[in-house]
Amino acid sequence: MKISKRPGGVLGIVAMTSIVALSLSGCTRDGAGQGGGSGSSPGITDSAITLGITTPLSGATAGPGKCTVAGVSAYFGAVNAAGGVKFGDGKTRTVTIKSYDDAYDPQKSLANFQQMVSDNVFAATAGLGTPTNRAFREAAISQKVPQVLVMTGDPLFSDRKQSPWQLGFVPIYQNEGAAFGKLLSASKGQHKVAILSQNDDYGKGYVAGFKEAIKDASNISVVGEQTYEATDTSVDAQLTQLASSGADVFFNAMSVTPLTISALQKAQQIGWKPSWFLPSNTSSPTAILEPGGAAAYPGIYSVSFAKAPQSPAFAKDPDVTKFLSELKQYGNYPDMPAFPHCMWSYMVGATLEQAFKSMTEPTRDSFMTALRNIKDLKAPLMLSGTAVDTTVDGQPAVSSVVVQKYNGKGYATAENFG
Amino acid sequence: MGTVSSALGRRSVRIALAVLAAVVLLAAPLLLPAFANQTLVRIGVYAVAVLGLNIVMGYTGQVNLGQIFFVGLGAYVTAYGVNQGWNIVVVFIAACVSAGVVGLLVALAAARLGGLAIAMVTIALPIVGVPLAKRLDEFTGGSQGISARFSDAPEWSGLYNDQWQFYIVLVVTAAAFLLARSLVRGKYGRAFAVVKENEAVAASMGISPYRTKVLAFTIASIFGGASGFLYLAAVQYTSPETLSFGHSISLLAAMVIGGAGSIAGSLLGGAYYIFVPQITNAIDPNLTTLSQGAILLAVLFLLPGGLVSLPRALRRLGRRRSGRPTSGNPPKTAPAPHPVPEAALEGPDNKERQDRP
Amino acid sequence: MGTFIQLVVDGLSTGSIYAALALAIVLVNQATGLINFAQGGMAVLSAYIAYAFLGLGVPLPLAILVAVVASFLLGALAERFLVRRFERGDPDTAVVVTIGLLTLVTGISALLWGYNNLGFPSLFPLTSVEILGAVVSVRSLATTVTIVLIMVVLQLLFLRTKLGLALRAVADNPGSAAFSGLPVGRLLMVGWGLAATLGAIAGVLVAPQLTLTPGMLDTALVYALAAVILGGLSSPIGCVVAASAIGVLENLVAVYVPLIGHDLKIAVPFVLIFVILILRPQGLFGRKVVVRV
Repeated sequence: MKISKRPGGVLGIVAMTSIVALSLSGCTRDGAGQGGGSGSSPGITDSAITLGITTPLSGATAGPGKCTVAGVSAYFGAVNAAGGVKFGDGKTRTVTIKSYDDAYDPQKSLANFQQMVSDNVFAATAGLGTPTNRAFREAAISQKVPQVLVMTGDPLFSDRKQSPWQLGFVPIYQNEGAAFGKLLSASKGQHKVAILSQNDDYGKGYVAGFKEAIKDASNISVVGEQTYEATDTSVDAQLTQLASSGADVFFNAMSVTPLTISALQKAQQIGWKPSWFLPSNTSSPTAILEPGGAAAYPGIYSVSFAKAPQSPAFAKDPDVTKFLSELKQYGNYPDMPAFPHCMWSYMVGATLEQAFKSMTEPTRDSFMTALRNIKDLKAPLMLSGTAVDTTVDGQPAVSSVVVQKYNGKGYATAENFG
Repeated sequence: MGTVSSALGRRSVRIALAVLAAVVLLAAPLLLPAFANQTLVRIGVYAVAVLGLNIVMGYTGQVNLGQIFFVGLGAYVTAYGVNQGWNIVVVFIAACVSAGVVGLLVALAAARLGGLAIAMVTIALPIVGVPLAKRLDEFTGGSQGISARFSDAPEWSGLYNDQWQFYIVLVVTAAAFLLARSLVRGKYGRAFAVVKENEAVAASMGISPYRTKVLAFTIASIFGGASGFLYLAAVQYTSPETLSFGHSISLLAAMVIGGAGSIAGSLLGGAYYIFVPQITNAIDPNLTTLSQGAILLAVLFLLPGGLVSLPRALRRLGRRRSGRPTSGNPPKTAPAPHPVPEAALEGPDNKERQDRP
Repeated sequence: MGTFIQLVVDGLSTGSIYAALALAIVLVNQATGLINFAQGGMAVLSAYIAYAFLGLGVPLPLAILVAVVASFLLGALAERFLVRRFERGDPDTAVVVTIGLLTLVTGISALLWGYNNLGFPSLFPLTSVEILGAVVSVRSLATTVTIVLIMVVLQLLFLRTKLGLALRAVADNPGSAAFSGLPVGRLLMVGWGLAATLGAIAGVLVAPQLTLTPGMLDTALVYALAAVILGGLSSPIGCVVAASAIGVLENLVAVYVPLIGHDLKIAVPFVLIFVILILRPQGLFGRKVVVRV
């Protein structure tokens, strides 16, 4: 009885596996080149090109994640409505965006990449997250699929030798930290700095860039350094600890919106009022500084390369009004963007369009060549003093940032500290 | 005499079918498109993790919310070993052994606690594991994670990477399932079942509930480590996100959805874990959370016993339907053919699952 | 010394967030014998309901009241039409059902209100007072007081009222409760409704600090579970004490034990659980459960 059952169980398992396997099979294995004409790469026909985005659309990072899809969709929605992009090979194509939710899980982002390949996507772009982008970086290299203008400040993606099919979009974290460090070291006075950073490559990158920039400045000393986890509900203890260091400058490499607000509130409650530095993605005047009561501090500094639509200074800016209306119409994003990723991915759209215009063949090779050859592109929403430059090895598409100071309503470019 | 020969006949048919299925499995990757192979590979990864969870939870009744920690540990050990240039068999053994040793140590302490307390101690593993993985960045690559490629198809094989990975996963997964199967059918399986049912009775039968729990937990951890090895074969990268607490909860859900206390259910659980995100992405990538919740609840509502109880539920439905028109006079043919396939197909399941009211 | 007291005070205020959710978990466990993973998600949904009414121009106290009433109904409905089917079955399946409910509720919140952080006004001002040289915001002080009040009410409910006794009886042994004439089904609905109400209060109390997002209470849930186990599943006082202890100890250990630091401080409550449960299996304040063979 027992013996006779044994094969039955195995059989059940085997049978079920085969059912699963068979239910999956649709088409047979295809080689490369399932495009429109002969010699063209997958995902591009004479009239259309398909791009894929794998990004967190659910979970804790879904807020910025949704923005990465909305911005690109808004940009190309408007371009498609106007007829499409005239490519370098003379054909005019519309741009289709396919989005996939990876919930910030590397395993899922790899699965999404595999799905993209099977869905005949020309290139992956704009996805948010370091681990999620790293998870399919090597698969993208081995299958020669572009993974470009992704939203991570991880320098690996901008190293051409290691990442031939990749390019980062946003400044590497080090650049942003260094920009503030330079401003601070150029100031006349003696400054004591307290540092609070997120315990991952984001926080570490900021701090590394900042420390590198103040290395030779004798007037700057770091008097306290703490970290927090992105999942923490409170950083009160760290602030209490740092406040006791007596620092007059607070370098706060924090990417979590509610924690930044409550940090701004908490520090002034316990009577610590230093000058603050905040990263570009947590410095929104309306979403963070106002509720945090930032006016109480002598100065809030941040870095940016995008015009902030919330800022009164840009309320009537033509770029901003066009962006907001397209975001609503084509990006399925009716609200005022709470995260800068919406603006960044809109710029990604502009950068891609530029590459499309100069790619002479409908192939991924030609696209990468064109993409790596963009210089001084003033993408819409870019602040003066910044530009897209993809020609420098080791640097992402945007590497220039402007240090800004909060003026109670919006930001103004800061020439000096203090 | 007649029954014996018919049993023998059925047995040979079954063996033939098993051989056929094995051939199908071996041939499948050569015929299927790459994406199908890649999906099957990932199913294998999580089926092994769910299988381990099933041994400690489904069979032994100890709530374990930390299984993903062992998957992550196995993945990290594999990545480290591969990057150090160890032989791949050594890497595999190291992944299983390290997960097993950590599992054993945790179990030695945790098995003293009962019920929810053990759940809390196991919750702690992924919760503490994530910051710990970041802290030990010399070995783990910190928050940027660590890549390791050992599962690309070698030149001589003439295979695509996805086909090669399929075979790696197939070998480990098949071995894991066969091992688990003989384990739960044997002496230890009976001990698991008794401990799950009633610890005092177990003790009175001379089975130490403590030792049994430690054993089940350790075995589950080893399976977790093996699953981590497979994870690296499939994904070739791991980071602290791999062992985040949410995935542990998803594994638990996958186990119950597949079928608690069922070997075949573990495979279905692994399939559920992989397919549902793909399906919800296809429905609408902006509504994945909503549709995942709805699917989970719908499946449990229709099949509280998990997906593995689908055939039985269908049969019951069919019987009810065919029973209705002839309710006046009892059907002559219906009862006779039924018991045979039921005994054959359902028998093992009935034995495995502790059927609850 | 000033820093030390400040750290203790900060820890108490963080602990109050965990305590709020922990109380709801205790309530549902006392009333149904189940651990409800969806408790946090339901609390967030309640806070969103209050937020929606605020958007319609309803004053804050009234909006909270509406949310509290709506939550009672939602909790009762969830019990009747979803959890009821699984209450008599395998406990693991029931837990997974609450996981499914958590996912569904989070999805609904995300669908209706998106993933952006929404500011939620507080009933209490953000001004601060000084106690023993430490600065405490009136908001966290008031939050703590509210939670202590709820705790006292719950303790009285369980131990001093007929309803509390009936709820506990149903959770302990539904069969004999039904036999002795208790309306088991309705009591289970009331239990879930009350827990959801409590969750709603917890949600609106912590929303001003954490800002509203669908996953607002995900981390807090883990701490709340830890507090519940540590304090004893049956004791509201126990879980509030445990939650506060966790908040304070975490802070002190992170600051004064550099080896652990702020990244590994989350291990503190679990080590604590471990040590205490080995010594006292029923938790700090729990009643001893006698298992019959």
